[in-house]
Amino acid sequence: MAIAKEAYKALESLVGSEFITDDPVLCEGYRSGPGGYESATGYEKVMTKIPGAVILPRTTEDVQKIVKICNRYKVAYVPWSTGFYGPRSHCHVENELLIDMKRMRDFEIDEKHWYATVQPGVTYSPLQAECLKRGGYVVVGGGGAQVSVVANMICDGWSPLSLRIGFPHRRILGLEMVLPEGEILKMGSLAVHDDAFWGEGIGPDLRGMLRGYTGVLGCLGIVTKLALKILPFQPEELKPTGISPNTGLALPTNRVKWLNFQVPSKEAETKVMYEIGRAEIAGAVTKVPLFWRAIAKAEGKEEFWDIWGKESEETIKNFHIVRVLLIGYTSEAQMRYDEAVLNDIVKEVGGVQRPTKPIDQSWIKNADSAGMWLMCGAYVSVDYVIESIPHADTHGPTYAALKAQYTPPFMPDYGDPGWTMVCEAGHQGYSEYLVYWDPDEDTNPVDQFYVETSKMNIRDRYYTSLLASHQPLYLTGPKYGPNYHEWLLKVKGEFDPQWVCHPPVPLAHDEFVERAEWMKPIKDWETPEKFPIPE
Amino acid sequence: MANDRYDTPKKKVSFEVRDLNNFVYDMSRCIKCKGCYWVEHTYMPGIKYTTRCPSGTWKEFDSYQAAGKLRIGLAVAEGKFDWSEKLLEVIYADPLCGACDVGCKRNLDLEIGLSLEALRIKAVKDGAGPMPAHKKIAKNIASKHNRFGSPHENREKWVTKDIKVAAKADVLYFAGCSASYTNNEIAQATGKILNASGTPFMVMKDEWCCGNVLYSVGMIDEAVETAKRNIEAVRASGAKILLTSCAECYRTWKVDYPKMLDIDTADLGFTVMHLLDFADKAIEDGRLKPAKKVDLRLTYHDACSVSRLSDAWRPWKGERGWMGTIEPRYKRRRGTEGLYAQPRNILGAIPGLTVVEMPRIRENAFCCGAGRGTKEAFPELARFAAGQRFEEVKEIGAEALVSACPFCKNNFSQTAKENGGEVKVMDIAEVIAASL
Repeated sequence: MAIAKEAYKALESLVGSEFITDDPVLCEGYRSGPGGYESATGYEKVMTKIPGAVILPRTTEDVQKIVKICNRYKVAYVPWSTGFYGPRSHCHVENELLIDMKRMRDFEIDEKHWYATVQPGVTYSPLQAECLKRGGYVVVGGGGAQVSVVANMICDGWSPLSLRIGFPHRRILGLEMVLPEGEILKMGSLAVHDDAFWGEGIGPDLRGMLRGYTGVLGCLGIVTKLALKILPFQPEELKPTGISPNTGLALPTNRVKWLNFQVPSKEAETKVMYEIGRAEIAGAVTKVPLFWRAIAKAEGKEEFWDIWGKESEETIKNFHIVRVLLIGYTSEAQMRYDEAVLNDIVKEVGGVQRPTKPIDQSWIKNADSAGMWLMCGAYVSVDYVIESIPHADTHGPTYAALKAQYTPPFMPDYGDPGWTMVCEAGHQGYSEYLVYWDPDEDTNPVDQFYVETSKMNIRDRYYTSLLASHQPLYLTGPKYGPNYHEWLLKVKGEFDPQWVCHPPVPLAHDEFVERAEWMKPIKDWETPEKFPIPE
Repeated sequence: MANDRYDTPKKKVSFEVRDLNNFVYDMSRCIKCKGCYWVEHTYMPGIKYTTRCPSGTWKEFDSYQAAGKLRIGLAVAEGKFDWSEKLLEVIYADPLCGACDVGCKRNLDLEIGLSLEALRIKAVKDGAGPMPAHKKIAKNIASKHNRFGSPHENREKWVTKDIKVAAKADVLYFAGCSASYTNNEIAQATGKILNASGTPFMVMKDEWCCGNVLYSVGMIDEAVETAKRNIEAVRASGAKILLTSCAECYRTWKVDYPKMLDIDTADLGFTVMHLLDFADKAIEDGRLKPAKKVDLRLTYHDACSVSRLSDAWRPWKGERGWMGTIEPRYKRRRGTEGLYAQPRNILGAIPGLTVVEMPRIRENAFCCGAGRGTKEAFPELARFAAGQRFEEVKEIGAEALVSACPFCKNNFSQTAKENGGEVKVMDIAEVIAASL
């Protein structure tokens, strides 16, 4: 497969032959699956294609011209930064152009106004390293230290360090974006001058267009530059230590330390999180899925199952642990104050401190998402939500109950309710539900479970972040809108009348359901006879 | 284990590199986290020097990183591609430096390095590989027993009168092709170090090439013959320790030979040791006393084959079942047995030296790009990789770049020359010898 010769020649004349290819071998290297985030699903098998060509632009102007050529020759394209975000960020139609952004890695820190400007080729750990050198930090999202900062910020961007600042899009300041037809849109203060210090900018805040709630996966243009707020950290150095795989940042415990507390009940766990927020202490607080603890302890896959296999529904139900990161942002005295308050909170609920190493293996610099694949080989976070703490509290257990019906093929997790944390000083509660399975099993139930979670959210009145691009739009849109889907499609049609920008997103999951026979039995919502996608 | 609800059939599998199908599981489980490509995030130095994969940094398409190669490898295993020039470039423009393997194994149990080796073996079996430059080396080895095609009788010319070689000793020094023909200074320095430590050593009666390139480019049949011949020669000599000063020889003897012969490194019948390990121990127990001041501000480059590629070989065959678990259990080779501390101990013991580290060190070091047949077939990649490393050397202001591998030394020397010759390139054997 390849894109039209005339289009290819025009693109080649733009970037040079070194930075474009339609060689089938090189294009195969960009295959979505079979492994990776959300791979080994029906969606990946049915909806993804190997690109017809791959191009590596260097500048915003390159991107603009590429997009204009694609519009002229009606070549579908998808922007692509590191490829980690699974099938949804890969090509979906034959003869599609994949625009690999990795050469766009300009980077600048404004030390006066405390923000970093990055292109899509910049990933988190280099950015965090530069911030730490200057006494600042950014929140390395749960997607991992290896992901593109731009891609992560316009889709997700949460981590336990969101305790201090919740919605990630608030940290997006000035931004530059190439619209689907090649025009440049500048948001925030970049709209009026070169300084990207301010996100709200002039006129309506258009950041919602980037994200919806969790992003439109590149179907409404390509972000080519993003300014990100840097937050003040503390002055001591966090020294890398150890040899892989046992590496981490040695923590100066007078200013930074992780503490684990075992508490007697789920209610106590929630109370501790709530009170930490209320007292405005700490840099992060989280309750992670308990099998993450087993991953951290295990040297390999088999050892993980040895450890995890000892658990049962009873042990999981009765084990409650809260992990807290204390940061002496302003002084050692502040750190001591935070610790004293924390101890009081924990004592009040009858909690006890558990041993913790003076080391950060994940979250500050290395958000360690790759470890999620150790035990099974396939993984996806089927939902993640920021709402209130009570919402987060019940969201996970509801998921666990549904998941039990689909286990196997999912891994036995004994009812673990997933990952919860507190954001924005307790004003928000975060819930993320993760599922794991062996790709060699029958994976049709995985696809069915995915859609059933939407129905469950609608039925139980849970808010969900995965409204549009990750679920059938005609299922979720009418229920959450009531006309969310109509608005989203109108926006898409207005900015991308030919639907050349990552088609058929945002109707990709609807398309999947139509194409996958095994989804038919669970399709009980209405869709138009023909989707409003131009030929 | 609560897996009684699952009936995943078990599959027989082994880590035998002659069959690419043994690694279909590993190739299919790549998650594109690109731990293979990036410097490990904990050690990420900043916005510069972010990668540790020479091929993927050289050509920026993902297809040149392990994440891309594994997808391509899977397609090869499925018979999807005919061999093409581009396919051979993807597979061979790669120093197989092991950065991808240890990067991946920080989190997962996937055999990336073995997958890439198995791909080359398949390329050769299918009659497509190796590259023309590799065939020339193989011809040289077959006819002259060295990779340069130099007269075989010149092999021991490095032994000068001031070096005492014993007729019989526990230690057998295997100089290797480079130190015997093009880098005599390394063999001579090694001989002097051994002499200074009071360690009697012998050399092989008739030393032949270790066959590093043969194995590395997938010429497994020729490599096996070489391995058998060399192992037999050492066993016949009665040596207890086979000592090398070349990193590539070290890995070939310690890892590749047992791998090819399906035995454990411990079952070779002798210990394979690099000069780094020997000198570190000798300094520690006082046999070697580096007393002479060496005024130099230097930096150490971790050669891949004495670091992340050098874990002892442990063969494995068994079954893979539920969730990909394997039985019997296997202690994965994650690059933790590398000689990371030894060179730093040695350099730290030499008076006058100032050792400064580059941003990418140990398992995160950026390979020089010369090894495993790369410089011969893709000199532009080797030049690029060395150039990348030199940027680091210049940034830290080192006067000398020191390694423990003649492949690194020669490649870096060429780059140093192109950069005005201000940075001196040395082997660690020369530095140690200068301090005695």
